[in-house]
Amino acid sequence: MEINDQPGGERKLACSDVTKCFQLLESILDGEMGETGQELMKEKLAKCQPCFEHFHLEQAIRDVLKTKCTKQPVPTELARSIRQMIQESK
Amino acid sequence: MSEVQRRKYSQEEKTAIFDGEFMPHIDSMYNFAFRLTFDEDDAKDLVQDTYMKAFRFINSFEQGTNAKAWLFRILKNSFINEYRKKSKQPTKVDYQEVETFYNSDDVDYQSTSDLRAESVKDMLGDEISNALNALAVDFRTVIILADLEGFTYEEMAKILDIPIGTVRSRLHRARNLLKEQLKGYAQSMGYNTNEEEED
Repeated sequence: MEINDQPGGERKLACSDVTKCFQLLESILDGEMGETGQELMKEKLAKCQPCFEHFHLEQAIRDVLKTKCTKQPVPTELARSIRQMIQESK
Repeated sequence: MSEVQRRKYSQEEKTAIFDGEFMPHIDSMYNFAFRLTFDEDDAKDLVQDTYMKAFRFINSFEQGTNAKAWLFRILKNSFINEYRKKSKQPTKVDYQEVETFYNSDDVDYQSTSDLRAESVKDMLGDEISNALNALAVDFRTVIILADLEGFTYEEMAKILDIPIGTVRSRLHRARNLLKEQLKGYAQSMGYNTNEEEED
């Protein structure tokens, strides 16, 4: 057996079904699995090192997309011109 | 049956719905449009078109349902029908083509496993934005809808007219492709993408 140097670590170092596990983790992260998802995720993260790392990477990506992605300032006249077009079409 | 029987809104109701439920989403709509077209004028036109259509077809909007998802669906369809045709983008890739290509082999985990959460967290907004913008439009779209706008898989399925399973797998692939892009940045910035150089 290889040495697992993770703190508190009983995690296995290889995941037997990476694709399936990762897709499941991603669905959970996307909030699609409700309460059961949270339980399942805790269990997975405690047991499996690749899942643990994947989870943190996926979460970091979601976080930066949500918080850092530059927003394009909306042209100030846009709302007004839409209202005007609607008014004219009536 | 309910479709046919839905009553028509009065002029006052129309205005109330338009101002109260449609207009508050203009920021999100414009940002979505800009990320699709990469052009301020095109984005403006696209948003204007969308709102005009929304007003014209307001009777098919059911009050109390998700106005933002309804508007995004109109915007996406307008983009596909009108703007995508005339756009000068080289990435004219068909949905199906993209799906089959990326289904064919595991673009999955292997190639991206050495990107680390820490280096992602250190990246700048522009780097994240550029990485997202570099994706083909269909992949870019699902990430925008899920991560920037917070739509659920079910809402995305309705906006994009695809099954939920396809939403899930397309999103999975889109994020993998995004990781590839981010890995490129991480490497060029000298972030540590591979902690132990084992061979």
